[in-house]
Amino acid sequence: MIATAFSLLVPMETEEAQIARGLRRRDPDLLDALIEQYQHRLLRYLLHLTGNHAVAEDLFQEVWVRVLEKGHLYDGRNRFVTWLMSIAHNVAIDYLRKRNPASLDEMQDPEDGAPFEPPASGPSPFEQVAQRQQQERFDEALQNVPALFREVLVLRFQEQMKLEEIAKLIHIPVATVKTRLYRGVQALRPLLEGGAR
Amino acid sequence: MSNHEHERALELIMRRGSEELAVRDLEWLNTHLATCSECAAYAEDFDQTGHLLRAVAVTASPSLVSRTQQRVHARALYLEEQRSRQVLIAISFLLGVLSSATSGWLWWKFGGWIAAHLGLSQALVEPGILVFLVLPAVLIAGLMMTFPNPLLEERFLAALASEREGGDR
Repeated sequence: MIATAFSLLVPMETEEAQIARGLRRRDPDLLDALIEQYQHRLLRYLLHLTGNHAVAEDLFQEVWVRVLEKGHLYDGRNRFVTWLMSIAHNVAIDYLRKRNPASLDEMQDPEDGAPFEPPASGPSPFEQVAQRQQQERFDEALQNVPALFREVLVLRFQEQMKLEEIAKLIHIPVATVKTRLYRGVQALRPLLEGGAR
Repeated sequence: MSNHEHERALELIMRRGSEELAVRDLEWLNTHLATCSECAAYAEDFDQTGHLLRAVAVTASPSLVSRTQQRVHARALYLEEQRSRQVLIAISFLLGVLSSATSGWLWWKFGGWIAAHLGLSQALVEPGILVFLVLPAVLIAGLMMTFPNPLLEERFLAALASEREGGDR
């Protein structure tokens, strides 16, 4: 009974708070676990942002080095994934500025534009082929969407982030997030009308 | 139908799925979509885009994860050594200052004795001795903080090289 009362008085430490504490200590076990936990999501985000697998893998490593270095800045108040993606966003922007200061769109490499694997599902081989073709067309179309819009699409649909979270992550107003989301979907409209319907 | 209504519908479409929407808002949206073909088409495109994006499978290879973990460990080691070095420098500096302060009184007397015997001005000798005592420690500490230790750099580069070898295998 005393223990129950004590647990009610002293709130349990949240997962974010534990991560923040571990990052301040530069705990190697915690970092290993975080790399494994967020590997696919982070790589997917970087891949969609850059459109180039080799660049995305380089940036993937750079992001985790920066997480180590800047870990003391994470206060545990927001979701860790949001903070991680904001680091990834900054790393990608830094890479772009070094490579080409003109535009984020220059990050995409047309020669390496369709690096994604389509999902292996579907009841029949014919449907599998049709799905694969549609997915390939979608990947190709996605790489032609300006990176600014592509980034917002990925954060909204793949990371299931709220509009406010996206705005905070990439340091833009919520209204701009909505505009980019709208235009991103509009940019994919020809594909959706032609193939998916 | 007003622009405000379309804007509200678009916002609700964008928020639907990733946020908890009030039942009243959802009902309003469904009613609006039933009567506005433009917003209904956008809602369909929006859902279709989400469906296709979520279907994209991207996986990080185990070697990438392993290489990243090794690189992070090497960097953590380097940062830890750098921090230890800075602590040692700070301690050395403090010890130097304390040592200088405790022996300062003797030097001060010695300066007074020199000034008296050589006929120099007390106002010149006393600040001179103060600078003589403090300046070397400040200069050395500054130099050590500015230029990294080559031995530590070599160890860090060796750790990176072994990491690359591990990744190539």
